[in-house]
Amino acid sequence: MAVCAAIIGKDNSPKYFTCLNPYDELNLQYKVLSSLDVVEEKLNSGTKSGSDIRELYLGMLYSLETHKIYGYVTNTKIKFVIIVDSTNIAIRDNEIRSMFRKLHSIYADYVCNPFHIPGDQITSKSFDERVKNIMTGNA
Amino acid sequence: MNGTEILENDLFIDRRPIITCAGELEVFSLLEDNLSQALPQDSCEWRRSLGRPVRSVHIGANFAPFSTAALPKPNQWDMIRQPLFHIYWTECVDVDIYKTGIKDEIELWLKELATREIPDWLIVVVENYDGKRANKLLPRTTVLDKIRADFAPKQGDRCISVINPGKVESRSADSWRGLVSRVRHLVLVSYARAVARLEEHVRQQREKRNEVGWNFLQYFKLQEELAQVLEMLGLYDEALVQYDELDALFSQFVINGHTGDAVNWLVNFQKALERWHGLKLGPSHLEDDPSILELRAYIFAKQAHMLLLINKIWEIASRCLPFLHNCTREITLLEVTAPPGAISCWLFLACMEVLQTCEKFNQADQVEAYSLNTAPLWAYASQKLKELGELCGLMPNGTPSSEQLHIVVGLSAGMGDNPGSPGAPSPTDKLKKALCSQEAFNKNYLELAELAMGTYKHIGRLRSARLIGRDLAFFYLLLGETQKAAAFLGDALKTFEQDNWRELAAQTQVDLAECYMKSSDTRKFIRTCAAIASSPYIDTLIRWSYFDDMLKCLDLLEKPLVVPFKDIIKIISVNVRNDGPIMQDCVMEVEAVLDSNFPREILCTKALLSIDHDKEQKKLKDKNCRNVSKEIKPKDISMQRLKIQRHLDYKQDKQLSSASVVCKTTPLKRADSSASPPQSDFTCCLECAKLPLVLTPGLNVIRLSRKATETGKFQLGQLAVHVRELELISSLIIPKVSLEVKREEPTVRLDKGLSPLLLGLEQRMELSVTIGSYEIEKNSTVKLIASRGLSIQHLEDSPLQSSIDIAIEQTQPFSKMVTSIRILADIFSQDQQITINWPWSPKPIPVQLSFTPPLTCGIRLHTVKHRKFVHITLVGKCDMELNVDLPKLNFGEDVKVIDYNVPSSQVIMNDVSISYLWEIQFTPQDEAPPLKGEYKVQYTTQSNKLEDCETRTFQHFFEITDYQTLYHVEAHVEPTKGNEFCRVGAVCQLHLTIRPGSHTLQMNTTNSLMYEVLAEQSLWAVCGRTAGVVSFIPDPEPQTVIMDVMPLNSGYLPLPAIRLSKYIPAEYNVSDKVLKPETHPRLEPFSPGQVYNSSKGQQVHVIAALNDVHIQ
Repeated sequence: MAVCAAIIGKDNSPKYFTCLNPYDELNLQYKVLSSLDVVEEKLNSGTKSGSDIRELYLGMLYSLETHKIYGYVTNTKIKFVIIVDSTNIAIRDNEIRSMFRKLHSIYADYVCNPFHIPGDQITSKSFDERVKNIMTGNA
Repeated sequence: MNGTEILENDLFIDRRPIITCAGELEVFSLLEDNLSQALPQDSCEWRRSLGRPVRSVHIGANFAPFSTAALPKPNQWDMIRQPLFHIYWTECVDVDIYKTGIKDEIELWLKELATREIPDWLIVVVENYDGKRANKLLPRTTVLDKIRADFAPKQGDRCISVINPGKVESRSADSWRGLVSRVRHLVLVSYARAVARLEEHVRQQREKRNEVGWNFLQYFKLQEELAQVLEMLGLYDEALVQYDELDALFSQFVINGHTGDAVNWLVNFQKALERWHGLKLGPSHLEDDPSILELRAYIFAKQAHMLLLINKIWEIASRCLPFLHNCTREITLLEVTAPPGAISCWLFLACMEVLQTCEKFNQADQVEAYSLNTAPLWAYASQKLKELGELCGLMPNGTPSSEQLHIVVGLSAGMGDNPGSPGAPSPTDKLKKALCSQEAFNKNYLELAELAMGTYKHIGRLRSARLIGRDLAFFYLLLGETQKAAAFLGDALKTFEQDNWRELAAQTQVDLAECYMKSSDTRKFIRTCAAIASSPYIDTLIRWSYFDDMLKCLDLLEKPLVVPFKDIIKIISVNVRNDGPIMQDCVMEVEAVLDSNFPREILCTKALLSIDHDKEQKKLKDKNCRNVSKEIKPKDISMQRLKIQRHLDYKQDKQLSSASVVCKTTPLKRADSSASPPQSDFTCCLECAKLPLVLTPGLNVIRLSRKATETGKFQLGQLAVHVRELELISSLIIPKVSLEVKREEPTVRLDKGLSPLLLGLEQRMELSVTIGSYEIEKNSTVKLIASRGLSIQHLEDSPLQSSIDIAIEQTQPFSKMVTSIRILADIFSQDQQITINWPWSPKPIPVQLSFTPPLTCGIRLHTVKHRKFVHITLVGKCDMELNVDLPKLNFGEDVKVIDYNVPSSQVIMNDVSISYLWEIQFTPQDEAPPLKGEYKVQYTTQSNKLEDCETRTFQHFFEITDYQTLYHVEAHVEPTKGNEFCRVGAVCQLHLTIRPGSHTLQMNTTNSLMYEVLAEQSLWAVCGRTAGVVSFIPDPEPQTVIMDVMPLNSGYLPLPAIRLSKYIPAEYNVSDKVLKPETHPRLEPFSPGQVYNSSKGQQVHVIAALNDVHIQ
């Protein structure tokens, strides 16, 4: 389903990054980074228009020939970004939403760990495994 | 005009409803132009079925002569292209003529319509008014009434009369307006029915889309017809919906076709591409057998056209990129083969066309919304151009091969010809030109990329702009313009670092390193190498190689190169090793734990830690604070403390006008404007003693030290590690670590022993000199100056002096020198002081000393008649035992003294007294000058502690005045006559005799005396007067006074005391008649030696009374 998932802190620094194909990682990092522009734009305009503040899903941030990039922002301004291969035409918006919700939920579980220092990068193997499961649609 | 458009090949597609005309056509032909112009001029409400909103539309019409053949058949779906509405025109005003001919004609016409179930008709009677006829009486019935009665008894609106507007009159305008609106309304009603039928048909056809034989193109044309109708009516947004539906339908077919349900007609779109003519917005037409690109381009052009008409230009741009992505995806899904580069060409052309169109129609107020969408388009176009460049060998690093030249020719041919004006070349022209030569390609590519970057920056998408900058950097690198490349990469690096994307930053450093290596900028290369070598995000092997490169390049450095620590070396902790304040000239020692991220050991030539004096720190406080915040992180502005200031406004006459607080917002500064940390002054710094220092990867503990020469508070500034000419410098150490260097001044003390200081005895005091924290100069001296009467000496054998110089022998820090000082104060002054002068005190230090005498003496004068005795009591006043010898009393040469003392030495101890007695020999005489006596006694100390064994003299001077005996008093108590004994309670007689001395009366002192009997009240009761005055002036004989006294107790009673005083009588002013005392009489006491009471101490024996009665 998704080829890449990233968690970005409120200071826009990456907290977690994974992708199915490790060779693509650098390339995808650039894409995620530039998507932050759009996230910021949406967040800034969102406060103006007073849209539903409970809606965390930002929708598609932008699309490329090969990929589509979706965004989600928690109330604490933690950003989740998921990249989907654009040839994958079967995927629906709702599935993306649910992926984000699952990601949010395991992220929340993870940061509840008393040994986790907020703001640190996430290096847990089990977390990685769970994210991968969400990305492949096995979770 | 609505509903018509001119195509490039001059074809008309007229979607206006057709209106047929029957009857007297010559009448109509006069009105035709007017009518067809008037119809679309005003809007009309269009009510639709299915709850769709009412829209107001403009409707036009085509007029055609009525013919039976052209009439549509019942239930025909494409009513749009058939005559929709039918009008019968007549000019007849004569009822008879009507009855004879026209009635039949209309009947025939209506019958034709009725057979085809056409309900939409209208009969128009044109009236021509003449001025003359207007005066006539109205006819009973008109033709119109007749027609109405004959053909439309229930539908009155189907018949209308109109005054010929050819003859301009005010009356005709109203009737004309009525006709136009009637026609408009009726046409719309019938048109609406036709549209509904068309919609229904479209729906039916769409339902059949999965049936065999269904053809998309046919359906496309059908639905497009609907779109065109809507467009004709001015409902552009609804027309757009039709195109959007078609767009989505096609996409769905492609997706379905890919997943398995392939449909036959899709094969038509899977043909290999032969043409890739650029997308052209504006009037377009669809080829008969379109390729997928042509179909897509057509749909998009139509959508764009509609968007343009509803003034949503920016939406064209926003739809463009998804559209292009969709096209490429569909091409891959449909497995359409195309020559390499063809798709890129087409995509590029499409981008450019859209961008050009947007530019043309762009409005100033939409720039923001529009730039938001054009920025990615510019980027996409530049990316496509680059792909083409790579394909055709146009990139700067190569020359096109003949094969690649062939590709260019093929691509150019496929683009077709689409020449623009010379001033504004079409996208096709541009692309062809760009593909012609490397130079043109470079220019075009750079232009596009810069535009994309600029637009991104403009809309605030800095990160996207940086990524394009990164692409540009690589291009410039190929061009050999390393400086430009480095600038772009540097910007990208800053952005990555700001967002803390370490891996990307590290990667960019690698790119930068390559860039600097190419430009052989050694200094920057080293800087970057250091960053790469220490980045954990880079492969170890690569780190090693850059590390080696860095070390190699260090040899080339001529000047020191300052590189901030950043991630290369991290300071884990910094500790001051010294406990408490550091004494001057001690070594301050700091231990720093560094985490080196270099992949291997590195040999450092120096390690320094700067220290800043605290005083300077205070002055630069503001500046430093700013620096500090910059160092830590660019802070959130909203989290910073607001700088609120007082603000007072004064009027011209200097009165206060208003008071307020002002928050001057801190000016926003670019956080990244200063790359290097503020450099401390390393002239004053701690150094690592053990050199060369080897920093191993990971934690290292280094010790830095420095001798503290200056005093004061210091703060650790920055840490620097030098590797030959490479100077790695940390940021300011936070939290601040401070050191305090103190200096202790030398001190001096003068102490006495335990016992108090004594006068007239040589004693010892201790002078202690303590050297402070620093070594003092040799040959320093302490000068002690004693006050008068005090002498001192520190040398054992030298005589005592009033001032001495003591050399300080110990000059080492914290050494102490104690000198014993002998001190002797003469016997006379008890308060003395010693003044200490020495180099470390600007003022002399006075030391107050107070001495006590070792001995005191008391002097008493005793009298026996006229003889005088001096009694001296010597009291020891010190803890020591003193040997006292040779007492002497001397009143000068004239007065002789008889010594009654034993001539031997005596030991006197504390509070022990010794008495001495002398008699003064003198003859009583008139004048008795005061006697000045001098008492001397020799004493030595007995104690062994003090070496002072010298014999010293205690002297005491005194004076005796009024010592001659003037009066001799004698008293005795006798029983009254007849009594043998004095008894208690019985009156006795006190005989008081006062005898003046032989010389007394010559002395011109006083002549009257007052005597007082001072009886103890418990022993004696004095009867009668107790005091009286006697005078010896006329008679110098002794006088005797007898007083009655009564003893109150039995036993040996002391006699009542007698006191004599000089009596000075009151003086009277004799001149006045009345005697007034000027002064009261007064008494003056005698000195002790002047009155001798010989009966003092006498007692009288009183026996008890005879009976007890008296006792009461």
